[in-house]
Amino acid sequence: MARFAEPMARLIEELRKLPGIGTKSAQRMAFHILRASEADAEALADAVRDLKAKLRLCSVCNNITDVDPCIYCASPTRNQRLVCVVEEPTSIASVEKSRGYNGVYHVLHGTLSPLHGVGPEHLRTGNLLVRVERGEVDEVILATSPTVEGEATAAYLADLLRPLKVRATRIATGVPAGSDIEYADEVTMTRAIEGRREV
Amino acid sequence: MFMHVDDGRRPANRVSRKSTCVGQENGFGQGNWQRGVRAAPRAVRNVAIPGWDCLDAGYALNVTTHRIESIVLKSWPLHEADLVVSLLTREAGKIKGIAKSGLKSRRRFGGALEPMTYVLASYAEKPRQELVRLDSCEIVASPLSEEMDYGRAAALAFYTEVLEEALPDRDPQDAIFRLTLAVLAHTRKGHIWMPVTYFSLWIPRLLGWLPELGRCTVCEEPLTGRGGYFHAEMDGLVCETHRPAGARMLTAESLALAQTMFRQPVAKFAASEGEAAWPAARAADLRRFTTQSLERHLERRLRSVEALRRLAKA
Repeated sequence: MARFAEPMARLIEELRKLPGIGTKSAQRMAFHILRASEADAEALADAVRDLKAKLRLCSVCNNITDVDPCIYCASPTRNQRLVCVVEEPTSIASVEKSRGYNGVYHVLHGTLSPLHGVGPEHLRTGNLLVRVERGEVDEVILATSPTVEGEATAAYLADLLRPLKVRATRIATGVPAGSDIEYADEVTMTRAIEGRREV
Repeated sequence: MFMHVDDGRRPANRVSRKSTCVGQENGFGQGNWQRGVRAAPRAVRNVAIPGWDCLDAGYALNVTTHRIESIVLKSWPLHEADLVVSLLTREAGKIKGIAKSGLKSRRRFGGALEPMTYVLASYAEKPRQELVRLDSCEIVASPLSEEMDYGRAAALAFYTEVLEEALPDRDPQDAIFRLTLAVLAHTRKGHIWMPVTYFSLWIPRLLGWLPELGRCTVCEEPLTGRGGYFHAEMDGLVCETHRPAGARMLTAESLALAQTMFRQPVAKFAASEGEAAWPAARAADLRRFTTQSLERHLERRLRSVEALRRLAKA
């Protein structure tokens, strides 16, 4: 393996830790940074530093944000009485891509996972329940993944919300748009049939 | 011979096909299978050529394809898009394989790689390769077909963790396979304690870790009708005379229940007991005894057992 000067080797080693980045890609990136202008390299370093220094969790919805409350919770144009519960902050981007949702979010930062030692006490549900108890919410959409862990989490949240007299709904599951029914598995197809709607 | 847990759900189209293929189907020239093998000219890919690429010819041509009943135990990401999947197969024991694009593309595997899904798994393997290549999984029964809650997820996690930790790779255990299918069929929302107890009792027995429960392991005095004592540091049960400090009691009722479980298949046992009669407190001592026995032999604490204990207390 080629030997590099210590600062270069260190940067390659750090870049290699990023998901999807192997040794070759890390080397290419490191040499790109080396060839870049001083200002560009500084900007990259500042961006990485700021990411850790300035980002925190929104006190209302647990989304990752640099301002508290986050842009969704502070938005006057969004329906603040409609809350979509997601597993991770990255799930927000998926819902936003639909452009069909104008409510706000609540991020759990995980799902119930007995195999990984994640129990109900580890889920960030406290501030969601406070919002609901205060009567600030009309409907909670449970948008966890349709996996064993996601379904268990949705069922757990539904049980928590039931006594609070708030409408709790689960996102639909079924055949993805643009896909072929031929490729749908049995469980997906069963759910698609169960969740059929009148046209 | 283990007779009690055949649930009669063996799919009619059950197939286990072993074929030493000559480069056909999922043969050489694809992805990982190409390692160290010079790609054969397209025209001869389906033909065995004696002496071709003499160093690796045997390695390249001995692709064996299987289609076997399996239970998915666990999957974890490999690189950006792939999954490593652990399967408990009926005929080949526990195996691990790569599901290419299993993480990113749901078209190929769909929900078939969820833990405790009963599937017909098609895979290809080569000699000297630990990981097989998982081609497809056809769902026979999925845990997602029924309502899920935290209790059911914890029970499924318990089965997964025990099977993953306790079974050696590539050691076929048909009785354990049938036991797992049978308890899965009875693990429903709000009804987890009976199948969990049944599984936790039978698994150490099938693995040969459970001494006879009817007698004190020290003096061999019968314990029937009196119950016995157990301790995390020892196997089996002892009488009151030989009870060590810190031992817990296994009641006579739980002991009798265990003997009944040994005699009856899970379906018959469930029917005779009535599922409503299984609150978390029932046979909790028996579950503690069996899970302690499992943890002692595995030499580690099981996370799912902790989740079940917290659930029982709640």
